[in-house]
Amino acid sequence: MANRAQIPNSNSALIAMIADEDTVVGFLLAGVGNVDLRRNTNYLIVDSKTTVKQIEDAFKEFTTREDIAVVLISQYIANMIRFLVDNYNKPVPAILEIPSKDHPYDPAHDSILSRVKYLFSAESVASGRR
Amino acid sequence: MEVADHKAPTLENGQLADENADVLQFMDSMDAYFTLLHSLSSTLRQGWLELASARHSMGAYRVNTVLLDHTSHSAATTLLVTQDEGKVDSVEPRFTLCKWGSSSNEKFLGEKQSSQDQLHPQLRHRGSTQLSEEKTSSENKASCEIDDQVQKGRSKSLSVFGTLVSPKLRSAQLSFETALETLVEMANARSEMLYAFDKVDKKLGDGKE
Repeated sequence: MANRAQIPNSNSALIAMIADEDTVVGFLLAGVGNVDLRRNTNYLIVDSKTTVKQIEDAFKEFTTREDIAVVLISQYIANMIRFLVDNYNKPVPAILEIPSKDHPYDPAHDSILSRVKYLFSAESVASGRR
Repeated sequence: MEVADHKAPTLENGQLADENADVLQFMDSMDAYFTLLHSLSSTLRQGWLELASARHSMGAYRVNTVLLDHTSHSAATTLLVTQDEGKVDSVEPRFTLCKWGSSSNEKFLGEKQSSQDQLHPQLRHRGSTQLSEEKTSSENKASCEIDDQVQKGRSKSLSVFGTLVSPKLRSAQLSFETALETLVEMANARSEMLYAFDKVDKKLGDGKE
């Protein structure tokens, strides 16, 4: 209990996005876009020219910024940096994998569901019955 | 001895009930997460379709990321993050969506209303009917001001793509707003799921020892 991390209350936290152009444009229409004085944005538009390193850097930046509470990432992009996403375990910002236009959502790849699915495995059920 | 023997099964039943409650909470939150995900997929598909229709009618050069505002500006839609006070033994954030500055608007109007009450205390001595009418009209005025603020926010966001925009672009905006609401619910369901999962996992681990 003494080592439990506290969640800082925030009344104007941002939603960050790592997604394709249409998804980002759509959410920017909904008013989530933020550009600070250094011209840092809370979104990364991923296209065919975006490198995995750029996606990794954006993910690391968004998950360490204190003003971001939720990071939306298209699942097909999350698959490119699956190791990073699966190793992330902080409560805030929350990472939400979303479907994209050309890649439907696959629950088998979702990092949260992967973490909890072992509860349904035969081994865990058998060990619980002992 | 008989009392102790009677108490032991009761304690075990209590622990079993707690474990079942934790598992049920976990299953419920996971079900909610999947349901919201399905709803999100449907809403996003609608939004993408409307965006494509807007691009078709307005032209691809008018609906693209080159036109995005890269000057310094704050997000109009933000999140309120609090810690769930009902669960003192864990870290569980709660997310609330503030669309177009809505929560800040409500706070501003609340302060404005209280300052008006201080300026006109004699209103309290009038008849109850008149008071309720004035309260209703002030509430209506407050909601109209919030609606105006929301409409201004929406118009400003759309203005990036020009003065006259396709109705499909406006529809896309509403669809993505709905998607945002679903995403915030998903974030809360995710928090609940992880909280319940941690409790179940911990009890499974204690049982194995």
